[in-house]
Amino acid sequence: MRRALSIISLSVLMTGFLFAFTDVKVGAEDLTPDQSAQIKANCVSIKNSVSQLHASDALLRVNRGQTYEAVAGKLMDPFNSRLASNQLDNRAMTAVTSDYRTSLDAFRNDYIAYEQKLSATLRIDCTAKPNSFHASLVEARELRAKVHADVLRLHQLLDDYHSSVSDFLLNYERVSQ
Amino acid sequence: MEEKISFWDRHRLSLLLVITVGIATVLTCVSVAIYNMSGAAQLDLSRPGYLSVSSQAEKTDSINGYSSTGSVNKQTIQSFLKQYDEQIQKAKSVDAFSGDPLNPDVLEFGTPASE
Repeated sequence: MRRALSIISLSVLMTGFLFAFTDVKVGAEDLTPDQSAQIKANCVSIKNSVSQLHASDALLRVNRGQTYEAVAGKLMDPFNSRLASNQLDNRAMTAVTSDYRTSLDAFRNDYIAYEQKLSATLRIDCTAKPNSFHASLVEARELRAKVHADVLRLHQLLDDYHSSVSDFLLNYERVSQ
Repeated sequence: MEEKISFWDRHRLSLLLVITVGIATVLTCVSVAIYNMSGAAQLDLSRPGYLSVSSQAEKTDSINGYSSTGSVNKQTIQSFLKQYDEQIQKAKSVDAFSGDPLNPDVLEFGTPASE
């Protein structure tokens, strides 16, 4: 029993060391000594730029998020309900609305992950730890690209909903003639 | 005859204060954790660092609601589409989070060696 525990403990420790080593290695090979020196030298201005982006992205999240929420709550849902209450087939629109809500959730969650990473980046002392700062910045950059992909997906779904309603109108006209 | 008072009887008020402060601390920690994890923190523009942009936040959304009741006919669908098109133009007017402002080149410390 004691032997088994020792083996498990040793394995956990070795895995920990391996992960720690891998992490340091990845961070170190991304940054040349020249870049490291540049980060240290321009630390204040880089942090200022990132801080400004942090604030402007927060504003963008609030304003855009509000608009995206309102489209679903004030246009899609009421129209779907109106069709349903008139016993009309609203499945196509409901499916797009469901996808839209899923994408909206992804947008919210991805933005939280991005904001948390950017905040963590800003807390890193870039004069003392340029490698960690750079690694964190690279992660934040990838997360921001993910948020942009979510926005593009939402825009696509807004168009899809329009197409669904247009198709519905065509069918409606054909049936009612 | 003097009544024997226990330690907890003598420190009842102190105990009450300690428990009260303890409960308040735990509840504060829980609420701050919820504030941070729920995404509310990301929408709170009154935090330090956001004061420069907080005045630009839209207080009300610009989307006009569509009625969920009433009949459906060609005219109502067309009027919905017209309203929807107007509103989504506003929603799509900004390509949010586009560009690459966190690119090392933009931040002026060069392209990483591995790229």
